[in-house]
Amino acid sequence: MMHSSKSASLFLLPAVVLSGALAYAQGNDLARTSPKQSGTLVISGGKLLTVSHGTIDNGVLIVVDGKITAVGAAGKVEVPKDATVVDARGLTVYPGLIDPDTTLGLTEVAADQNSNDLSEPSDEIMPHMHVADAFHAETELIPVARLNGVTNAVVAPGTEDSVAGQDIFIQLAGRNRDAMILGRDVALAMNYGADQRRRGSRGNGGRGEYPSTRMGLITQLRQSLLDAQHYEVSRDAAAKKPDKPAVASADKAADNSADKSDKPFQRDLKLEALLPYLHGERPVVVGVYEAYDVESIMKVAQEFHLKVILNHVTHTQEILDEIAAWKVPVIVGPIYDFPAANERYDAVYTLPAELQKRGVKIAISSSEAGGPGGAHTVRNLPYSAGFAVAYGLPYDEALKAITLNVAEMFGFGDKLGSLDAGKTANIVLANGDPLDVRTDVKQVYIEGVAQPMVSRQTILRDEYSK
Amino acid sequence: MKLSLLTFRFVPGMLICTAFGATSLHAQQAASTTPMDLVLKNATVMTASHGTIERGSVWVHAGKIAEVGTSVNAPASAVVVDATGKWLTPGIIDPHSHSALSNDVNEATSPVTPSMMMIDAFDNRDKALYQALAGGVTTELLLHGSANMIGGQAVVIKNKFGMSRDAMLFPNAPGSIKFASGENPKRVYGSRNQLPSTRMGNFEVMRQSFEEAKSYMASWDAYNAKVAKKDTTAVAPKKDLKLEALADVLRGKLYVQIHCYRADEFLTEEAIAHEYGYKIRAFHHALEMYKVAGQIAPEGTAIATFTDWWGFKDEAWDAIPWNAVMSMRKGVRVALKSDSNDHIRRLNQEAGKMVHYGGATEDEAIRMVTQNPAWIIGVDDRVGSIDVGKDADLVIWNVDPLSTYARAEKVYIDGDLFFDSSVPGFGTPHFSGAMHDGGGFGSDDSDEDGE
Repeated sequence: MMHSSKSASLFLLPAVVLSGALAYAQGNDLARTSPKQSGTLVISGGKLLTVSHGTIDNGVLIVVDGKITAVGAAGKVEVPKDATVVDARGLTVYPGLIDPDTTLGLTEVAADQNSNDLSEPSDEIMPHMHVADAFHAETELIPVARLNGVTNAVVAPGTEDSVAGQDIFIQLAGRNRDAMILGRDVALAMNYGADQRRRGSRGNGGRGEYPSTRMGLITQLRQSLLDAQHYEVSRDAAAKKPDKPAVASADKAADNSADKSDKPFQRDLKLEALLPYLHGERPVVVGVYEAYDVESIMKVAQEFHLKVILNHVTHTQEILDEIAAWKVPVIVGPIYDFPAANERYDAVYTLPAELQKRGVKIAISSSEAGGPGGAHTVRNLPYSAGFAVAYGLPYDEALKAITLNVAEMFGFGDKLGSLDAGKTANIVLANGDPLDVRTDVKQVYIEGVAQPMVSRQTILRDEYSK
Repeated sequence: MKLSLLTFRFVPGMLICTAFGATSLHAQQAASTTPMDLVLKNATVMTASHGTIERGSVWVHAGKIAEVGTSVNAPASAVVVDATGKWLTPGIIDPHSHSALSNDVNEATSPVTPSMMMIDAFDNRDKALYQALAGGVTTELLLHGSANMIGGQAVVIKNKFGMSRDAMLFPNAPGSIKFASGENPKRVYGSRNQLPSTRMGNFEVMRQSFEEAKSYMASWDAYNAKVAKKDTTAVAPKKDLKLEALADVLRGKLYVQIHCYRADEFLTEEAIAHEYGYKIRAFHHALEMYKVAGQIAPEGTAIATFTDWWGFKDEAWDAIPWNAVMSMRKGVRVALKSDSNDHIRRLNQEAGKMVHYGGATEDEAIRMVTQNPAWIIGVDDRVGSIDVGKDADLVIWNVDPLSTYARAEKVYIDGDLFFDSSVPGFGTPHFSGAMHDGGGFGSDDSDEDGE
């Protein structure tokens, strides 16, 4: 697929597309595979948007074995002799985009319940649900998203539950699930507001059961966190007793049945799942819309010293300073969300700019208000960021909000999100401004491997263009 | 500032003045009791019909476009808006909206309800309307939902937010009726174990309805023939609202707009239209048109399609974002539509995607959200392009409207200013003084929760 000639140019890229399509049609799904890159790749002459250190107009980028080894202006970077050179003159080169809030691999056809593994709504508190267990690596949605330059994403469960489960951080290429999941359980997905009161809420199939109010939801959550703290103490105490293993076999349990206190300690997966978050080891991503809901849930989060990333915060115009004072990062999205009844038509559009102005680290997600959302619209991630620019967010910050900031929020800041030596070579080449809807992505590299620019949709396009 | 509503033409401008203080433009308008002339000058004018005019000007006289060109011969008394560095387009037209219909879009109690009138549900104070206006939308076709095979009759509005309900109706716009097919009627009635629960059932319901309409028309023909022969014993058949509406379809008095996703359904719908002798104005959604565009183009049926929505149900699984341009290249007239209170606020950006997906020219892309939807609604002789004689429905954009970065700055309808982003407070509900909670959005849960 690579061209060894030093003068290889993007004019040769159609060959990549063609071979990809052919393999796809034969059932050998190149669109999803990415054998490791070997050798040296040089992307030369493009306009590099490094994200971390500005724009280099005529830049050179060197990739060895899937990692970026050098980035700089032409003439200032030594180009190895036996490299594959891609001529990127006239193109924009930028790090692969990262969507902080998707359901990729948890849904296929939104209306078809059999193809959905979005949430487990049998209880409100479900920290022991692991997205990794349901992630469908072969989803047709991933190549579609990738064609617009999205190379990484956070996958979170649906939002029905107060504590919905644990997210994964993925790479949008790989032969199978294990190759695509870069991080399991990278964050705990939480939600708070009107929707989670489903058991009691009127007109929503509610059964009048606890918790039917916001008070109930908060109380339930607080009790669960206390239960987890108590659980940890009990578990550790049990582990300290020399002759009582923390996990006993059923036989042993039977032997000890005479003495209640001698019962072996049984793990509680649900409470145990909360512990890393109670220790602040990993972030909780809290989806919340209304200002007063943000304030309520933050009280609980602070009480338990949770490491918070706020998500959505759509109707929080009155408390933007307060959010800034908490020093928590924020994922904004859907940026096209509707204003509340008392807000200006552009209240949500300006949210990223208003937060960034106050020093808040922001990420922007692709999700759409009222659309199929969450997974099918991931390819529109760059346009969400562009829309934030239209409403006041500085361009560089917008780009950062879909690259480096996301990587940093989820613990991948040293590996992804910018064009820097030492980082994974997830790189996109486009014929213009990546945030503009009119721009065409010409080539996506993941770990230095040129991905076939093919999806189920391009195959249909090509078939019916004949 | 004291103004008389009766003597002053610029009613919305005046709302701005009274609520928030006059801007210079409004002051100018207010100063004249006959502000008949307006010139928008030095903009990049995307006419939709005849290309782009760099540093072009548009002269508006009495709400109509009087002249378009690099210079215009407006009278010295004209109000002049300098749009140097800005873009000017016709107002955006959405051929498929369910805004402002009080959540009453489906009379889902029978699969055939052609007598339902959308106008009876139209809420002119719905905040979704000013949000769309702020996105440059000046005309909308408000359609029924898709629960029923034959839903009912649409209403066409001009987005004159703040004015009376009647003042928002597009004067003398032709009537449209909405049909639906595919999964929606299947799901709604199938879940009740009722006809139709399959595509076979869907089309059987359609045919049966037209058979009834034909015999209804025949009974009227017989009656009219008797009357013509001065037969005093003739008794008029009972007027049946449902069958009257269907008869109007057969008489060609209503434009037929069909919600339809799959290639096979376009073909079946055209076959039924031929069988009963009516024309289909447009297929809406039409996500698989790229598969059969060559067959549909000679029928003269247009499409109103999503740009890139897909996968939300089975019949949207083969949707590709190249559909619009591929269909256009095969001769089908293509419009983009919102079907959403969200998308309607940035249809210009959706048009921009057509440059990306399929390589539409800027002209072609802008036509997909102006002239082509105007044709689908049947008002293309009055709106949809910047041409002499057309209604002065115009939008000034800060940058190229096909880019992600475009914001509508001023929106004129019939020459009157209805949106001005420089006016503080516009777009807040209290602005009209008549906003209320609970209108518009399906996603607004405040009703349901009873809070």
